[in-house]
Amino acid sequence: MEFTSILFYVFSLFFVGSSFVMITSRNTAKAALWLILTFFSAASLWLLLEAEFLAITLILIYVGAVMVLFMFVIKMLDTEESTLRAQFTRYLPLGIFVSLVVIVQMALVLNAGPFDLESVGMPEQHGASYSNITAIAQQLYTIYVYPFELAAILLLIAIIAAITLVHRTQVNSKKQNITEQINVQAKDRMRFASINKKSKKESK
Amino acid sequence: MKKKLKKLVNDFSLGELRTGLKVTSKEFVNKKITVQFPEERTPISPRFRGLHALRRYPNGEERCIACKLCEAVCPANAITIDSEMREDGTRRTTQYDIDLFKCIFCGFCEEACPVDAIVETHIFDYAFESREGSIIDKKSLLEIGDKNESAISKARKEDSKYR
Amino acid sequence: MWQSFVELTHQLIPWFNGSLADILIIVIKGLALIFPLIIMMAYMTYAERKVIGFMQLRIGPNRVGPFGLLQPFADVFKMLFKEIIFPSKSNIYLFLLAPILAFVPAVAVWAVVPLGEDFYIANIDVSLLYVMAIGSVGVYGIVLAGWASNSKYPLLGALRSTALLISYELVIGFVLVTVVMVASSVNLNTVVERQSGGILNWYWIPLFPMMIVFWIGALVETNRAPFDVVEGESEIVGGTHVEYSGMPFALFFMAEYFNMIFMAMLAVLMFFGGWHSPFEGIPFLEGLFAFVPDLIWLLVKMSFFLFLYFWIRASFPRFRYDQIMRLCWKVFLPLTIVWIFVVALMTQLGIGPWF
Repeated sequence: MEFTSILFYVFSLFFVGSSFVMITSRNTAKAALWLILTFFSAASLWLLLEAEFLAITLILIYVGAVMVLFMFVIKMLDTEESTLRAQFTRYLPLGIFVSLVVIVQMALVLNAGPFDLESVGMPEQHGASYSNITAIAQQLYTIYVYPFELAAILLLIAIIAAITLVHRTQVNSKKQNITEQINVQAKDRMRFASINKKSKKESK
Repeated sequence: MKKKLKKLVNDFSLGELRTGLKVTSKEFVNKKITVQFPEERTPISPRFRGLHALRRYPNGEERCIACKLCEAVCPANAITIDSEMREDGTRRTTQYDIDLFKCIFCGFCEEACPVDAIVETHIFDYAFESREGSIIDKKSLLEIGDKNESAISKARKEDSKYR
Repeated sequence: MWQSFVELTHQLIPWFNGSLADILIIVIKGLALIFPLIIMMAYMTYAERKVIGFMQLRIGPNRVGPFGLLQPFADVFKMLFKEIIFPSKSNIYLFLLAPILAFVPAVAVWAVVPLGEDFYIANIDVSLLYVMAIGSVGVYGIVLAGWASNSKYPLLGALRSTALLISYELVIGFVLVTVVMVASSVNLNTVVERQSGGILNWYWIPLFPMMIVFWIGALVETNRAPFDVVEGESEIVGGTHVEYSGMPFALFFMAEYFNMIFMAMLAVLMFFGGWHSPFEGIPFLEGLFAFVPDLIWLLVKMSFFLFLYFWIRASFPRFRYDQIMRLCWKVFLPLTIVWIFVVALMTQLGIGPWF
């Protein structure tokens, strides 16, 4: 057995195992952690496929940003078991339906002609000098530059929309104006009053 | 407008941060003022009030006559005195305890003493190994006095002209 | 007995020649990097206390060993022998996992750091991205520590740090983009190689504002003063460290210092020409300093940035949380985006020796 095959089986084991524990875990925070392990295993598998850019982007975006935000939300959540498990039976038919659809789709994809495992075959093995990131960049900025730019504009629009949704001025908001605060100079806050001698004597 | 521009330039050239860094870099090379305690000590006033001691006369007789003025004046009730008549007919203490946890080192006992028996020395770096250790009895008080007699009398002499 | 042993070794020899030997070499390389790092980290704590002491007109540690040079070891042994206390109702597994998750990424990033010409553990094509990715994993240590401690101050500290680190990762990402644009490579080795040829060829000149932004971002990412709101002794006692003692705490501590060394190293690699001598290409000085090895130049430059860490810590009071956020989103982010355009322009016009 080659060493890479051993690595493949180890990472696959981690991948399948951690994703299984993730969906069966009762504790949301633990489930999120198992999901992170799943992402890491997936990234390792991609590294074996010489897709290091994808692998590292997966860790950077999903593990580094998305899951952190998940953890952020989980911390705020009330993780009471009873509320989480309420109405389980109500959503059960819908859940079964969705999972059936997913299974059918996967079966169709894996058995259909062009996506068949046999017709796709093993990816080509490249040498150590092969640069995945250069290949992606060449494709992305020449052939696919137009869709790429469109996707960027779509994301920009999404950002602007998200900001405008949050940026409504609240009427009774008591938030602090930081710009005003940090622009304060000592002389704005302090006033030197000159007290003449006459009033000083009177006060005595 | 000009003022605003000046402030903008100052802000973006990190003006205030540079001021701060300048101050600390100046202090970095300045002479350090730390006193290395056990080896070096800061000067102590002759009136310093530290650990207590009981003094003796030059002929070896203990000064304390058990008048209990110190016990009466002590604001923290730290002093406990018991006395009896000695064979030669003088009144002397059989017990003289000071609880150093209670003591506030006000020096009233020293002021009240008619024979300069109880004094406060310049010793301040002492420690106890148990809670009971905080109570020092007559024997150890006298020992402290014997050991530090020269320092005690010297401090008293120095301070005498201002009393 | 002997016969069977010989047979076993004969069976194992192909393994040793192939994969196992490779793994062994990698492990040895890793240890050879980690041990000096640990010593460095230990003496950084000493240097920090000395430098800050000096800036506050004190002397700093001077009791253990000559000039207090054995102080770090005393600290290590103290930490080792301390009791590990688990807060009641805390999740022990996650509680112990947190410091490990903080420490492992802090070490793992060092895999791609080039310490000299052809002197590295791994030379991967996406090393700058790798640095970002692994660096962002370090957040989980703090997040989990706050969550698993089952205590309010750690939770507050973790909440603060999560938001902060995500925001500043963005800024640092943009700074890296400018560096990548100038160097036209995401490989740290190439980034450094392109800066060869004296102090004027280093990227700190065309990317000067980015360098400052990066450094401030680095202070935030490593939770150092004046941005140490995660700990915030005066506000939330000790933040995520409140419930930790003994070795778990030491792991957090080590992770913080490893990250500090790494950030200093990254600043040197990206803006100060890595292992290159500042006098390259200058007629007389180049020969004069030719005897200095690459690694020494690298360490000297890095030490300056580490000193800067202590200097800044001794100089400035802690920022308020919302002010740090404002600094990130309203000052640094626009600034970096503008500078990306400036760098793009400079690249197109081919200004200076940098492009």
